[in-house]
Amino acid sequence: MSENLLEVRNLKKYFPITAGLLRRTVGHVKAVDDVSFTVKAGETLGIVGESGCGKSTTGRMIMRVLEPTSGQIVFDGQDITKLHGKELRAVRPKFQMVFQDPYASLNPKMGIEEIIAEPLIVNGVSRKQATERVVHLLERVGLRAEDRHRYPHEFSGGQRQRIGIARALALNPKLIVADEAVSALDVSIQSQILNLMMDLKKEFNLSYIFISHNLAVVRHISDRVGVMYLGHMVELADKRSLYANPRHPYTEALLSAAPEPKRQGRRERIILQGDVPSPANPPKGCPFHTRCPKVMDVCKVERPALKEVAPNHLVACHLYS
Amino acid sequence: MGTYVVRRVLGMIPMVFLITVFVFLIMHAAPGNAFDAIMNPAIKDIEQLKEQLEHNAGLDQPLWWQYVHWLGLFVTGNWGFSFTHHVPVTDLVGPAIRNTLILGILAEVLTIAVGVPFGILQARNPYGKFDYTSNIVLFCLYSVPFFVFAIFMIYFFAIDLQWFPAQGSTGTGPNAGTLGDHLYHALLPALSLAVVNSTVYSRYTRGSMLDVARKDYVRTARAKGLEEGRVFTKHVFRNGMIPIVTQFGLDFGNMVGGLIITEGIFQYQGMGQLVIDAVNGRDYNVIMATTVLIAIGVLIGNLLADILYAVVDPRIRYD
Amino acid sequence: MAEPLLAIKNLKTYFISKDAEVRAVDGIDIEVQPRQVVCIVGESGCGKSMTSLSIMRLVPKPKGKIVDGEIWFNGRDLLKLSEDEMTDVRGNEISMIFQEPMTALNPVLTIGEQITEVLLRHRKLTKRQALAKAIEMLQFVGVPRASEIVHEYPHQLSGGMRQRVMIAMAMVCEPKLLIADEPTTALDVTIQAQVLELMKKMREDFDTSIILITHDLGVVADMADHVVVMYAGQVVESTDADSLFAEPTHPYTKGLLASIPSLEEEKDVLYSIPGTVPDAAAFPQGCRFADRCPIAQPSCREKMPELREVKPGHFVRCDLV
Repeated sequence: MSENLLEVRNLKKYFPITAGLLRRTVGHVKAVDDVSFTVKAGETLGIVGESGCGKSTTGRMIMRVLEPTSGQIVFDGQDITKLHGKELRAVRPKFQMVFQDPYASLNPKMGIEEIIAEPLIVNGVSRKQATERVVHLLERVGLRAEDRHRYPHEFSGGQRQRIGIARALALNPKLIVADEAVSALDVSIQSQILNLMMDLKKEFNLSYIFISHNLAVVRHISDRVGVMYLGHMVELADKRSLYANPRHPYTEALLSAAPEPKRQGRRERIILQGDVPSPANPPKGCPFHTRCPKVMDVCKVERPALKEVAPNHLVACHLYS
Repeated sequence: MGTYVVRRVLGMIPMVFLITVFVFLIMHAAPGNAFDAIMNPAIKDIEQLKEQLEHNAGLDQPLWWQYVHWLGLFVTGNWGFSFTHHVPVTDLVGPAIRNTLILGILAEVLTIAVGVPFGILQARNPYGKFDYTSNIVLFCLYSVPFFVFAIFMIYFFAIDLQWFPAQGSTGTGPNAGTLGDHLYHALLPALSLAVVNSTVYSRYTRGSMLDVARKDYVRTARAKGLEEGRVFTKHVFRNGMIPIVTQFGLDFGNMVGGLIITEGIFQYQGMGQLVIDAVNGRDYNVIMATTVLIAIGVLIGNLLADILYAVVDPRIRYD
Repeated sequence: MAEPLLAIKNLKTYFISKDAEVRAVDGIDIEVQPRQVVCIVGESGCGKSMTSLSIMRLVPKPKGKIVDGEIWFNGRDLLKLSEDEMTDVRGNEISMIFQEPMTALNPVLTIGEQITEVLLRHRKLTKRQALAKAIEMLQFVGVPRASEIVHEYPHQLSGGMRQRVMIAMAMVCEPKLLIADEPTTALDVTIQAQVLELMKKMREDFDTSIILITHDLGVVADMADHVVVMYAGQVVESTDADSLFAEPTHPYTKGLLASIPSLEEEKDVLYSIPGTVPDAAAFPQGCRFADRCPIAQPSCREKMPELREVKPGHFVRCDLV
């Protein structure tokens, strides 16, 4: 078994809800509620789920841009959960993030060279070396060296995402968290970026946490996939096992609801009733029981734990206990 | 909403308290006092008399004692006597508040009544002829300081044409003191404030309306088959007014400064005039009372604007 | 074939400014039969949304302008109607729903006000009758607590509910044609499945024809009777849905289908269409796809290929297939 690059243990993020004259805390939005997983070196973990399931919050906590309520994040053997200031800055270069909207995440007033070189300069690389690195990175992500003199608005969405990736790569990270990195792109551009990311992974020996709502994209890029629902990890398995044999009723419904671009042999669609409950007032027991077609009495009272039901296939569902 | 208002009102108390401390300190840091201002320097034994008067008024006590003493009386409704007017402060303040409210409200009404429709007309055909020429006029008006404008107004409308009185808040004769008489006297100062202010409102309104006109829900409204008139009144206008309401709230503070100067120019017997006289005469009790009232007025104005904001925009909910 | 409900002939919608003429829609022909679902598919900037706004005659003024063409609907050319006559058509005979149900609904009006507004405009009803009809319609599209929801505001609803409200609003006058511009793009997968189901039900119950504009070929496969593929302002392929997925013919259509990661099968490397869409202000003289086309010949760049019938009912704009 290879070394775990990242271990996330019992991670929680509760946002307080305040009310009344003195703004007392009357409850919590449980954005992420007890999530644990690992990422091995060189592996891509996909996290799928619908809006509000906590997948982005999880990503941001791993990036240490959002303080966890409790839990532990161990990166490369070091507990980074409590690091601050200098110590945190020392490990930051090792994990980087790529965002959904490359335009919003690139400063429009900064030239491309400045954008990509900034993290290098901050970490004490000389101007000259930084420029060399920028040229190398731009060429590596499929842009031209001359592009470093241009500004973000002069690029198309796909090109901007390439810039975002180049910036993330600048400090030779080990882990990249990609949050809906291709969701805003057109299909033909999306496949360009996915291919690029897969090439870069091999070349730079990267690990990815690939967060997306698009099941097909996650399947394509990931080695293992976690499915989140209402702040919980409900299923976590090897890609093949998960897509061929989804165990959790939510995963099943999610897979059946995503339309495949073909006319023949489409799978029977499971239409879930209603909306996702509010994370401020999550249902008791299994978070999915309000919409689950296979709901049993036990689901309404007891929360199922994430358990291994087949080799490397973890499910949080009472059907398997 | 209820708890929100209570919380805001409670929040005002320390604010007003700090303002009184601040004003009290500034006032006493200035050289001289009320008796220097009113006493005839030719009087014999002036020093002794002054000491006596200061002792009677408590001015020889330590500053903190004076402040606590003042505060104790003030919160129990005893606002003291005016040194210069020789009447209770409460008697002075009442009519002044009324006059200032008349002037202030009239000025705001005129500002909005001119500025908002103007902005809407401009937004109807952006970059068109009307928009273009009116913008030039507005910018010219905007760049004139309002007190200069006030003096021009007095010159033309009061002295030259004699349509309006040049100063004062009430006239003499049978109509004196009626609402009509008050409004007649307030109109010219109000206009001088409103004309310049309304240029700001028309710019805001124009920008806001154009912004809303591009929104998706306006396209939806057209897709529903609504006529342009209805699209405007029901969809563009209501949403376009939301930032104007915010602006209105922010304006309360600005308005106070403008009112004080305008009242001075027009010798209009309002709070502003009272403050200026009191400061010149070192009339401590009047200064303190007027400052507290103005501060409370501005704070209540801001609160009203925030409440109004929630009324026009259902997405705003206070709790 | 029967008389089409809608026939767009040689429609051209341009955006004209001082220094550029952007040909957003550049001579398209589309027919919609009664009760048919026609999907217009293409990537951003291909002109699919402008096509729909052109049918409604809601092209953004003053720059956008329909410069040529005919739009025959129910025996009348919509482009020849006066503005007054056109407002009678909108929301009544043809209605439209949009991508972002949050921004497409007016935030300061209640749901009830926004739905009754359509009825009061097109039907002779009292306010009370209109409200009753609005509640009935909301119940019909599956909005729970309809009689309370009419007094609520859009921000109080979930994304899926808002889109149901939009559909109720669009269908309340029982239009003959519903134009849906990316109606599920902003929604989660399970909610998308609900909304697509609802649109099918609308077609069944009201005999409404639907023009569904989307970039998602999965949605196309699920919904379409007939598919129109647009690229750079033109129709490049037009055929019934079965033959489009069985025999995609235009190189662009083929490329698009190959670029999509699949839920069901493993693809090692995704195909990606190289390059980007040409600038709509300076289209090349010949085929607009030639620069990205794997089978392009020098002749492709000289002459614009015509849309020709390669098989009965299957039209393709390519001379090489």
